[in-house]
Amino acid sequence: MRGSLRKENRHIFSHIVLLLWTFVVLFPIWVLVINSFKTRLTIYENPFWIPKTWEFSNYTTVLRDGDFFTYFKNSFFVVSISLVLVTLLASLAGYALARYKSRIGTIIYYFFIAGMMIPIKIASIKLLEIMRALGLLNTIYALPPIYVAMGLPVGVFILTTFIRELPEDLYEAAIIDGASSGKIYSMIILPLIRPALATTAIYNLIPFWNDLWFPLIFINDERHKTLLLGVTRLFGQYQTDWSKVLAVLTLSAIPVLVLYLAMSSQFIKGVTAGSVKG
Amino acid sequence: MRIKHSRHFPWLLYLAPALLVYTVFMAFPLIDSLRLSLFSGNNQVTRVFVGLDNFKRLFTDPEISTRYWGAFFNTWKFFFVHFIVQNGLGIFFAVLLTQETMKGRQIYQTIIFIPTTFAVLITGYLWKLMLNPVWAGDFLVSIGLPFLKHPYLGDTNTALWAVSLVSCWQWLGIPTMMFVAALRNINVELLEAARLEGAGSVKTFWYIKLPLIKPIVGIVAVLTFVNNFNAFDIVFAMENVNGAPEYSTDLIGTLFYRYGIAGQHPIGIPDAGLGAAIATITFLLLMVLVIPTLRQTQRGA
Amino acid sequence: MKRLHVLLPMLLLLCVLLPVSAQGNKAEISDEVVLTMGSWRTDDVEQMNRLLNAYKKLAPKVTIKFQPTNPPDYNATLRLQLDSGTGPDLMYARSYAAGQELYNAGYFADCTDIPGLMENFSASNLAPWQMSDGTMFAVPFAAVSHAVYYNKDIFKKEGLSIPENWEAFLSLCDTLEKKGYTPLANGLADEWDILETFFFGLLPNYIGGADMRVKYESGELPLNDRNFVEAYQAMADVAQYCPDGFESVTYNDSQVLFNSQKAVMFVDGSWTAGVYKDAPFDWGLFAIPAPKGKSTAICFHPDMAITMNTATKHPEEARAFLAWLCSEEGATTASQNLPSGYFPMIKFPIKLEDPHANEFLSLNAGRKTDARFVWPKLMNLYAPMNQAVIKVMKGDISAKQAADSVQALM
Repeated sequence: MRGSLRKENRHIFSHIVLLLWTFVVLFPIWVLVINSFKTRLTIYENPFWIPKTWEFSNYTTVLRDGDFFTYFKNSFFVVSISLVLVTLLASLAGYALARYKSRIGTIIYYFFIAGMMIPIKIASIKLLEIMRALGLLNTIYALPPIYVAMGLPVGVFILTTFIRELPEDLYEAAIIDGASSGKIYSMIILPLIRPALATTAIYNLIPFWNDLWFPLIFINDERHKTLLLGVTRLFGQYQTDWSKVLAVLTLSAIPVLVLYLAMSSQFIKGVTAGSVKG
Repeated sequence: MRIKHSRHFPWLLYLAPALLVYTVFMAFPLIDSLRLSLFSGNNQVTRVFVGLDNFKRLFTDPEISTRYWGAFFNTWKFFFVHFIVQNGLGIFFAVLLTQETMKGRQIYQTIIFIPTTFAVLITGYLWKLMLNPVWAGDFLVSIGLPFLKHPYLGDTNTALWAVSLVSCWQWLGIPTMMFVAALRNINVELLEAARLEGAGSVKTFWYIKLPLIKPIVGIVAVLTFVNNFNAFDIVFAMENVNGAPEYSTDLIGTLFYRYGIAGQHPIGIPDAGLGAAIATITFLLLMVLVIPTLRQTQRGA
Repeated sequence: MKRLHVLLPMLLLLCVLLPVSAQGNKAEISDEVVLTMGSWRTDDVEQMNRLLNAYKKLAPKVTIKFQPTNPPDYNATLRLQLDSGTGPDLMYARSYAAGQELYNAGYFADCTDIPGLMENFSASNLAPWQMSDGTMFAVPFAAVSHAVYYNKDIFKKEGLSIPENWEAFLSLCDTLEKKGYTPLANGLADEWDILETFFFGLLPNYIGGADMRVKYESGELPLNDRNFVEAYQAMADVAQYCPDGFESVTYNDSQVLFNSQKAVMFVDGSWTAGVYKDAPFDWGLFAIPAPKGKSTAICFHPDMAITMNTATKHPEEARAFLAWLCSEEGATTASQNLPSGYFPMIKFPIKLEDPHANEFLSLNAGRKTDARFVWPKLMNLYAPMNQAVIKVMKGDISAKQAADSVQALM
């Protein structure tokens, strides 16, 4: 009995499957990392193996080049402020939409959902005009309002679903205790929906961090460029120094991964707080 | 018992900040731009009201309608590959990753997520390199797999599949993450009870786990659908904005970008009205398909 | 108790105020003028800054900032910025239809009376940036050429010589292939390069120069006549000498293949000349040879011009800069700072220093030249012609079918 249990706990099949996928993921990353230590041409001598001579200059020039730190700072500022606002506003709205059972509530819910279905690029001209009217062109401050607006439909969608799934008796108990709706939100809802907040944040993190389009049309000023926009100066009309691009983009993926790890730890916390459903 | 919150006021207050930002910076600009589907000309000076002419052109002009239907069916293929491969693998991996007694779950989950953090530019370049027979050919021969040598991205029969699978590779982290979060939320006692009743893991999954995470399955399905119908970057990065080779990877997203935003290379004169018409049709199609899905899977939607 | 109800309106206010308060420090009080220049040439930041610094010495109060956008996004972003009134003061202008459209939309200024423009450029060099009524919408800046790059070291080692005609070129490719080389580096993946450098590069050999092109434009000659079919056939014939899997070889791959001596020849534009300056082998150029019985002609293409935005706040300063480009002194400074492979279009005899650039120009001697075939009038045929060339090279259709498919759209 004990022996069979231990065997069950080894999960050999699961490990084999996941290790296979690990290989499918890590092989391209291996290619990415080794090639970022080559030169424009030596990448192609043997793209899948370590370089004959390690070329650290791709990284050192990037790190020495002060601009990339500015770009990095800008991206970080824009993304973090946008994420905080999206999760905050979307959780307030999601709470209201889950609890506010009326026609207006349903209409507003679908009004948000509709925003997921049209590519925002189409609205570029209008957004440019709005930003110019607000005097935000050529500054990174033009980006957060758009990112928050872009993130809200998905945020509202995910968070409303999560809050709706919370058991009704939770509220009943709280209301009997005399808690206001504000207190219910901050004391009961927020702690319970932490995994959903993390999901929303991670889901939006990627498009915010890797967005090129809006920085491209809004920002010319060197001091206000975002990381990905900064990278495009490595792209020529007819030739691109891919080894440098790979180096910069390898560096740029790291913060996203760190943020992901930080936020995904919320899932684990969420388990202890949130095993309420059944 | 249902608690009545008769007052609209506090709820509208909760909604106000989100509604304000969303309306000013998204809904209003979007509606204003979709309006352009009824106009021709590219700027205020040359704009003329043409009624439904742009829609008519989209479906009757031989060149444009051929492109549109080509892109339309490619997009469905692109979507189905994602739905099956990306979401299927996502839910499968999520089940594996929520086995409480398994070691290294956090590591696997992070590895699955790594590609998601890449700019699409990188993904495109890496896979272009690896799928290119000129550079990968010798390598495939040297590891004894010469039959895999093929210009996948240059062959109209394989290009769309290759691009779709690469896109699944990149985005798998998202559905996996969402399914893991949902499965973790299932009451452990319930699963324990099922185990004591003698239900195997397949049965437990099918009759207990899946129904309980239905709302999340709905979210993921809707997001996959909506994102793939507006997908554009991965084709741009791996092929080009024409959906090379021979338009075989042309999606609604690239078609929209080509007609409505950038214009056809090398002149680059966009047709804002036609672009808006394409976006409007896509919007209506998505709404028609998404609302029933939500009704099916979401409580109280 | 109602803390949240107070907090919410404040949050609302914050959302509104944050962007508004973020502006500020906009007004700069000084008589210095800053002009921005939009461009698709991200490669040329260094050269352009040298050029603009030279201008700064003449006009110390005017600073021109070169702000290029990465090329795939240039058209789209420039257009959006112009439409919303946020375009640059000065900008690169594409030739023919792409430029005319922006003039018609009211974004490019009328440049006709800029001093020196009409006098210092030949009529054929003015034409690409001229409206049908003679109005100029930009100042011509640089032209590009197209030819065959070849690896001199390998030619010498194998005892090969430059082919006299197209037939000799094909047998040269055959010889190279038999010796185990990849004869040509060209591929199809990016689509535009096979059309713009190769097909439009060899087309003048089959149909003749500008005087013949006009006959096709007017419909006097069909686009599926013998000349065109032969030109498509030429593309079909070289396909077997392109790299294995050339269907998915990108433009970048082609450059690398030539640069790393894996391919011996590369049919390409002059703009790449700078890429191979550190190549570890000796390379040269020859004109894409005409078939027997025809004379070789060159695709010498007017590529970029500079113009000003009608909405600029500093029209005087912008015009002064354009006028400087039309003067002998300005044009000379500009030409010295052009990247190699870009050729000045002004009348004055300007000596270029780069030997490969001069090699390119020498190919023009005694030959007819013309712009890329579709640019002047038939731009709507660009995409169909591109697809026809690709299909012919893949062997999906015959040369005759390719020519017919394009003529059908005339």
